Amino acid sequence: MAEERAHRVYDLSSAGRMLVTRNVGRRVREELAGVLESLPRGGVLYVDTRGVEFMDYSFADETFGVLISRAAGGEFQDRYVVLVERERDLLENVEASLLQRKLALLRVNDVGESPQVVGSLPEHLLNTLQVIQQAHSITNSELAARLDLNHTAGNNRAAKLARLGLIHRRVETAAPSGRQYVYEKIV
Amino acid sequence: MSVVNTTIKPEVRHRGAMSGVLTLGSLDGVFAAADVPGGEPVVLDLRSVEFVEPAGLTGLAVLIEHLSFKTDRIQLSLSGGSIPAYLERMDFFKAFGDRLETNIDLTPLEERSRHNPGTLQELVNFHTEEEIPEIIDRISEILQRQQYLVKERAAICATLSEICANAVEHSSSPFGAYAAVQAYHHVVSGRRGPGEEVLIAIADGGVGIRQTLSRNPDHAEYTATDNEAIRHSLKMGVSSSGELGRGGGLTVVAQIAARSGGSLSLRSGSGRVTTYADRTSSRNVPPFPGTFVRVSLPRLADRPQDGGRRKPARSAKTAGANAG
Ligand SMILES: Nc1ncnc2c1ncn2[C@@H]1O[C@H](COP(=O)(O)OP(=O)(O)OP(=O)(O)O)[C@@H](O)[C@H]1O
Ligand SMILES: [Mg+2]
Repeated sequence: MAEERAHRVYDLSSAGRMLVTRNVGRRVREELAGVLESLPRGGVLYVDTRGVEFMDYSFADETFGVLISRAAGGEFQDRYVVLVERERDLLENVEASLLQRKLALLRVNDVGESPQVVGSLPEHLLNTLQVIQQAHSITNSELAARLDLNHTAGNNRAAKLARLGLIHRRVETAAPSGRQYVYEKIV
Repeated sequence: MSVVNTTIKPEVRHRGAMSGVLTLGSLDGVFAAADVPGGEPVVLDLRSVEFVEPAGLTGLAVLIEHLSFKTDRIQLSLSGGSIPAYLERMDFFKAFGDRLETNIDLTPLEERSRHNPGTLQELVNFHTEEEIPEIIDRISEILQRQQYLVKERAAICATLSEICANAVEHSSSPFGAYAAVQAYHHVVSGRRGPGEEVLIAIADGGVGIRQTLSRNPDHAEYTATDNEAIRHSLKMGVSSSGELGRGGGLTVVAQIAARSGGSLSLRSGSGRVTTYADRTSSRNVPPFPGTFVRVSLPRLADRPQDGGRRKPARSAKTAGANAG
């Protein structure tokens, strides 16, 4: 089973209730990156936007688009960003930015609740994510079996999800067959 | 030595809904004539103007900045009526009073009450991105006090912030940019009618959209004319920077305007493009430096509850009949 992850909650409204411009976005993003780096590996940064009234596209892209793109580039290793927000208009600009960048982000209504995907994720990866979410933790061979795929195909899908920061991937060496990947849900 | 005055005069309409209104379009003739000989006095004759909309005001501001480079004698002729008071209320004389001579006495205006709930943003001059959040916070507070819905506030603020950011980031304008916002208790764009409308205007005196987009060779195919460049700049992901994630500002503003049943209009160089929910029109205008943006966000009396994907305010037919 996936153990409880270390996490921090960042209240975005501390930066303002009306968030505009790339300039402000850059400052907020650097702060978020700092908090993310300070987390232990495997940790989750919840960015709570519920107190924010609105953000413009430029701010949303500069903050979330750039941060998630850096995370997908491996900069923060296995430390994850999760948005805390309910379904509302505010998400539109975050979503537009992630779609442009072909990235995605997990969103929960509240810390501890099950996640939805914001942004761009092809159907087959969404299915794979759902299987991992339901299992909480699953080995590569189990995943491949459930998706009716060979090991390589199953691993490819999960590797993509891990790179997008939507699941946690680790290597288990104690398995009888030697090394194998285990995939865990993040939240 | 005799001095020759050059008189320039906007072409405000004399009939129809826009009669007497200083719009951006009515300044076309003035822009064309603004290349006055250096050093000579210029008379800016606004006596036929009965009403100034924000895009007329920001257009006028940029025009005066432009003329100030050429001459230190600009005379403004105004008729009596409400125009001088309106200009005073919009901080026009605060910005330009020391550069203009006028035919009317401004002192009594200064003492008059400045309260006007429709004024959401007086004429403001800004130069950097750092100044934008403060402008947004202020207008948001006014909107909140006047019970605008969060959705409406977001639409107005996002429009203002994105367009203002463009002006300071892209234009290289020697005098920064001007913005003004006004709410009306009737629809003023196109055919006058019931409902409410917010007009947002931003203008700069910079290099223009075609020039900035041409810096990115990816857009070479789309920068032959100003109108093509403006149309191209409205597409998602089109940015002079070419960086991933950029190029969303104008697209989002066009969407906001379309959803509210309004329009986004951009004048840059010799092009002018206006986009609505269902169509985009372009026309050629006399070339003038800078980029002039006008956004109309109607608040219709019969606003449906979903606020989003609804039919445009005007059907294609009536809108077509109004165009031009
Ligand atoms: N006031 C202006 N003066 C000159 N060029 C402009 C102006 N406004 C927009 N542009 C041009 O239009 C392009 C598109 O503008 P848009 O706001 O959509 O994207 P962006 O500003 O480049 O990126 P983003 O808005 O996502 O931060 C700009 O990159 C620029 O080339
Ligand atoms: Mg922009």
